[in-house]
Amino acid sequence: MADGLATEHALVRRLVGDDAGAWDIAGAIPHDVLREAGAAGVLCAELPKEYGGLGVGSEANGEFTAYAGSLCSSLRSVMTSHGMAAWTIQRLGSRDQRAALLPQLASGRLAAVAFSEPAAGSDLGAMSTELRFVDDAVIVDGRKSWITAAAYADLLVVFGRTGDDAAAVVVPADTAGIHIERIPHPLGCRAAGHAHIQLDGVRLPASNVLGGPGQSLPFLVASALAYGRMSVAWGCVGILRACLGAVTGHARSRVQFGKPIAEHQLVSRLIAELFVAEQIATRACRHASECWDSGSPDLVVATLLAKHVGATQAMHGAASAVQVMASAGASDGHVVARAYRDAKLMEIIEGSSEICQLLLAKHALATRWEGP
Amino acid sequence: MSAEVHPELASVVEEKIAAFVAEKTGTRPEVGQDLFATGVANSMFALELVVFLERTYAVTVAGADLQLPNFRTIGSMAALVGRLRAEAAADGDG
Repeated sequence: MADGLATEHALVRRLVGDDAGAWDIAGAIPHDVLREAGAAGVLCAELPKEYGGLGVGSEANGEFTAYAGSLCSSLRSVMTSHGMAAWTIQRLGSRDQRAALLPQLASGRLAAVAFSEPAAGSDLGAMSTELRFVDDAVIVDGRKSWITAAAYADLLVVFGRTGDDAAAVVVPADTAGIHIERIPHPLGCRAAGHAHIQLDGVRLPASNVLGGPGQSLPFLVASALAYGRMSVAWGCVGILRACLGAVTGHARSRVQFGKPIAEHQLVSRLIAELFVAEQIATRACRHASECWDSGSPDLVVATLLAKHVGATQAMHGAASAVQVMASAGASDGHVVARAYRDAKLMEIIEGSSEICQLLLAKHALATRWEGP
Repeated sequence: MSAEVHPELASVVEEKIAAFVAEKTGTRPEVGQDLFATGVANSMFALELVVFLERTYAVTVAGADLQLPNFRTIGSMAALVGRLRAEAAADGDG
């Protein structure tokens, strides 16, 4: 691999093996697989080496994320949630918190981030989970819904309100007062451990609150989501590459009307569209990652664009892939069947397509354009 | 090194931040203008400002500093940069 992480590519290849379809049907990834991936640092590859991470840049981690996503979007979703947790602790945590928590995330402990609530999905400003400070403790009450990887996580990074402000708190999943309920049959990324979390009077040391109380919710959310959107965007590239692999192989070998179906023009157009989708998504992701790696402020818009383009192209491409594979790919567990369901979720999570469009429109309107 | 920021330096920082805002939004704000209340900035642009300050001044805006009041005006951003540079210099890792 030109991007490095060759050992890590091989590790993920070995860990997934031929099991992605079976995990999809069972709705779970074996715990030891996730622990081994976590201990190798591949769930948050951008974590700096000083914390035991691999310390790679956005583009290298992006290509790696796409590879993992091409094998299994559920595993890639766990990477996204765990990586966002690491990123949030790195951004918001004090020096002591970073030193105490981050090495755990590169040594096999699993983490998840919890934003969304029953009444706060796209409208995260409506979040009502409450953090109350009593002496040296913080007491957390609230409900979080559809939290990716929460069913596997040892640590939950929970976002909530502190009066008029906001904060994120690190909550060990086995703390008294936490109830984690797995979502039984998600549409996509079925083995990603999506769960609802109930927190009833969960009492923790106040030092578990990242960076202290009194932060701004839009800032917290925008910062944490930026990493997650990049991860999802590259994951969508992976979905498209997996579809291309399956579809080109099938179209070359499947014979109908006396010739391989690749030679039927309507089929070959679908293949061209799938290829175009993969190329567009890759370029949008690559540009955004370059912005991250060079520290360009354009990364904010480029990330949003990559997420939106990636998810939209993945959905479109996966639909074409199922169409070409037809009955050969129309069973649960098959790579294109998974791609079709997983891509739909990508249009919903980390900012739905509509939320992305609203933000992109806002950006376009706030920008001064050259022209007559 | 003194934690005091030289006044000329602060005004240079303000000028550079104002130029960035002007380039991005087409609006040249006053030093004390509330960028959010006056519709120049939104939460997405706020994040761009974070990245801009980090790259331009080799500082890290993290934890408790990642608060809207720090980004409300050109002046508050310049003050944040001044403080972070002074802290980094005092820590010996800046």
